[in-house]
Amino acid sequence: MDTFLQQLVNGLTIGSMFALIALGYTMVYGVMKLINFAHGDLVAGSAFVGLFVFSQLLGGEVSLPVVIGVFLLTIVAISLLGFTVERLAYRPLRTAPRLSAVVSALGASMVIQNGIMLLWGPQMQIFPELIPSVIWEVGGVVISLMQVLIMALSTLLMVGLYFFVEKTKIGTAIRASAIDQDAARLMGINVNNIIVTIFLIGSSLGAVGGLFIGLYYRGITFNMGWQYGLYAFVAAIIGGIGNIPGAMLGGLLLGLFKAFIAGYVSSTWADAFTFILLIVILIVRPTGILGERVAEKV
Amino acid sequence: MLKSKALLLSLAATVMVASPVLASDTLKVGVQAPITGSYANEGQGIDQSVRLLADQINAKGGVLGKKIEVVTCDDEGTAMKAAICAKDLVNKKVSMVIGSYTSTCAEAAQATYYRAGVLQTSDGTSDTLTEHGYWTFFRNSFPNSAEAEFAANYMVKEKAYKNIAILSDFSSYADGLATAVQDAVKKLGGNVVAREKIKAGSQNFTPVLTQMKSKKPDVIFFAGYYSDGGLIRSQQVALGIKADFIGGDANDNVDFVKLAGNAATGAYIINVPTPELLPYDLAKDFLKAYKAKYNMMPPSIWTILNVDGMRAFIHGIEATKSFDTKKVAEYLHTLKDYPGITGPISFAADGNRVGSGYMTYEIQKDGSYKIVFK
Amino acid sequence: MMKKIQVIGYPLFFVVMALLPAVLDSRWLVVATTFVIFTIVALSQDVILGKAGMFNMGQALFFGLGAYTTAILNSVYGWPMLATLPVAIIIPALFGIVLAGPIIHLRGDYLLVVTIGFNIVFIQAVQNNLGGVTGGPNGIFGLEMLQIPGMGAFQEAAPYYAALFVLLLTLFIIRNLESSKAGRALHYLREDDLAAGSIGINTRVYKIFAFGVGAGIAGMAGTVFANQYSAVSPEAFNFLQSVLFFSIVIVGGSSVPGILLGVFVMFVLPEIFREFATWRYFIFGFAMIFTMILRPRGLWPAKFGRIPKAFLEKGGNHGQQ
Repeated sequence: MDTFLQQLVNGLTIGSMFALIALGYTMVYGVMKLINFAHGDLVAGSAFVGLFVFSQLLGGEVSLPVVIGVFLLTIVAISLLGFTVERLAYRPLRTAPRLSAVVSALGASMVIQNGIMLLWGPQMQIFPELIPSVIWEVGGVVISLMQVLIMALSTLLMVGLYFFVEKTKIGTAIRASAIDQDAARLMGINVNNIIVTIFLIGSSLGAVGGLFIGLYYRGITFNMGWQYGLYAFVAAIIGGIGNIPGAMLGGLLLGLFKAFIAGYVSSTWADAFTFILLIVILIVRPTGILGERVAEKV
Repeated sequence: MLKSKALLLSLAATVMVASPVLASDTLKVGVQAPITGSYANEGQGIDQSVRLLADQINAKGGVLGKKIEVVTCDDEGTAMKAAICAKDLVNKKVSMVIGSYTSTCAEAAQATYYRAGVLQTSDGTSDTLTEHGYWTFFRNSFPNSAEAEFAANYMVKEKAYKNIAILSDFSSYADGLATAVQDAVKKLGGNVVAREKIKAGSQNFTPVLTQMKSKKPDVIFFAGYYSDGGLIRSQQVALGIKADFIGGDANDNVDFVKLAGNAATGAYIINVPTPELLPYDLAKDFLKAYKAKYNMMPPSIWTILNVDGMRAFIHGIEATKSFDTKKVAEYLHTLKDYPGITGPISFAADGNRVGSGYMTYEIQKDGSYKIVFK
Repeated sequence: MMKKIQVIGYPLFFVVMALLPAVLDSRWLVVATTFVIFTIVALSQDVILGKAGMFNMGQALFFGLGAYTTAILNSVYGWPMLATLPVAIIIPALFGIVLAGPIIHLRGDYLLVVTIGFNIVFIQAVQNNLGGVTGGPNGIFGLEMLQIPGMGAFQEAAPYYAALFVLLLTLFIIRNLESSKAGRALHYLREDDLAAGSIGINTRVYKIFAFGVGAGIAGMAGTVFANQYSAVSPEAFNFLQSVLFFSIVIVGGSSVPGILLGVFVMFVLPEIFREFATWRYFIFGFAMIFTMILRPRGLWPAKFGRIPKAFLEKGGNHGQQ
């Protein structure tokens, strides 16, 4: 039982990170019907920018203001990068054939990934310990301060985003654009601005996810974005792509699934099981758990 | 008549083309190492120290009057690139190759060097490296089986751990070492409660560690590389698993301590002596020269072991007064106690280095090593 | 004009390619062989992605399946290299058919992610040393070298000629496919799935057929690859390779000259400009973005049939969704 609960905690921690990253994919896909392949690399980039901000800009001494500073500056830098990617690689292809946009997205991903490599080198970099390694033992289950922070902050951001999208005017405009861009435009919504907003929000959430990865796992490599990006995307599909609560649910479920498979079945086959799960879900319920069944546009 | 004349002409042409190669005035030494990729700092260390040794030898007039020319090929720590490197270095007519760092890459290239009669020396500790019967291969470190016996003895006899958990990745080196340790522990009557495998580079090891926790191990022995070992140690502590951590030889790298952070304190590592602990004058001189040239210390003992491999080859050439690799290899297979930087160098007939001096280190708060058992 | 290029171009290309080993040293021969092999894989990807319009991003799976089939048959069962070729075609083709069965009804992006998934499952399986024959993360080394009888002095070039022969075979298959009933069906299917179904084309069967053909051709390339390096290992077939093949087909415009150009730029240029090797993907990334912006249909867009230019819709999609 202890082991089970421990795996639950582990799974929820990783799941929260997946969920944060998945939101970036699902929002972009919802409005643009495009897999933003560069998103995973923005996440990886965030860990490197965080490392740079901490050690070069803020002096490399751990204190609360410095940690907050690292988060804020990194979020700003990564959302600007996300904005640039949209301007440069996606906007010119808004009306182009679907495949051209996919390849352009892949190109953007390559540029960011290899940009990181050129700047920081191909070897693993080590992220500083910004959060003190405090652990608590509650009835046989160990939980660390880091895990609590990751879960709490992710939940806060996700709840915030949910209310933003559901209750505010901009949120309504985002939902309208996701349903039908042309109709939204006719209603006086500036879809381009909505897309920029989505990229800024998605990249910021991804930046937080990237910093969590750095803090939690310590070792960061330039090409780790693919791995996290892919899983986050899978999480978004499981939850129902384009659906914001779906991405959160999908992320948590995927985190739990991976933890339990790795713990109880086989850690070395975890990736394979994840994709088998995805394939089964797509065959049984192609629109994901929370996705609505929409008639295919012809 | 005409035909034979043409034949003669082409033969002459061939000889003319080929002769500069035969009478080349340099001795080409290949370095096959992971200059980039996950193990980049080890690879760069090997490359730098080979170049340093080459400079030292050239400054003294070279080998039998020939200057050494170093040719480096980056195998990125992947088997495929290693196979390509091997072909590339053979094409560049090297007569010996130093490397690679990982057993996998050394093994991927072995057959090619063997077919071309090129001497190869590697620090790879995988037992399989010397089991192919290639006369071209010389191991400059000590095989897994020797380390396994030392580790098992330390865990079962010295520390008297009741429950031993063993973890490795899938590489030939790590899996081989873990299996050897498991067998050696069982032979001494120890109790292995878990034998798990992880995927190198996957970052998240908490599910496996959580499962291990339920088996209440007193010690976790990790056979694998520092890039995973540091993370495993840090996640072990974060999960509140109170077991000791013992890392196999490939955890001996400065990055292990950086990755594990505060959790590194108290972790054990089993390896041959680290460069700073080598008692020999040769070692002190070489490290001083390395520090002077590159303004840093070698990343680990592996760098120095490879240098010793190269020194043995050069010694072989000088002792046989011949550049014929076959003759040199024959001489080396009976080499006894040639003074090395890492201690006396002796080779067995299968190319294994004979004699070993393993130690257990405990990592201190400041990241330095303290010898706790030898 | 186009026709002329084809009539003169192809024979000229093959004559040049056939004479290449005479002027290349062994390093460049390796590069040339790799060029030919990757061209074959890209062409096989084109059958699925370009011809049938299915978003497949797991082509390295079939390539690897062929290579591993050859390697296992050779190293474990001692089959000669050439004898493994038929099996290395049939097994990937069967896999292509079986895997495609349940997924081809998926829409574009979903198909793309599922095929990436297949690729990842494959890599994990070989890394975990499935059945004890795949050699784990190391792969399989020291395969036998291909011997072509009567080529004595040219043994070094044997893998190259083997690859070139397979390329010729592939082009022959693709040419025949284009002008056959199946080829026309695939074309309609790519243009409009629904319309193709409504005029009586069994879209399901033809989609699976395309997967089978593409997988079989990739498997052939796999045999040649195993033969070239006398080794196989998992990372040569991971899904980043699939991404490259996918990009080459789209950037090239899903035509033979376009694909040749794409493979050349992606794999040969970096060998020529070694000093830029680390900049390689950074530059390619930009090149991919700008190509797509300036020429959304690729560098050398494929043409189908003999539709006079005047009847083509200007800037139309021509089947891309």
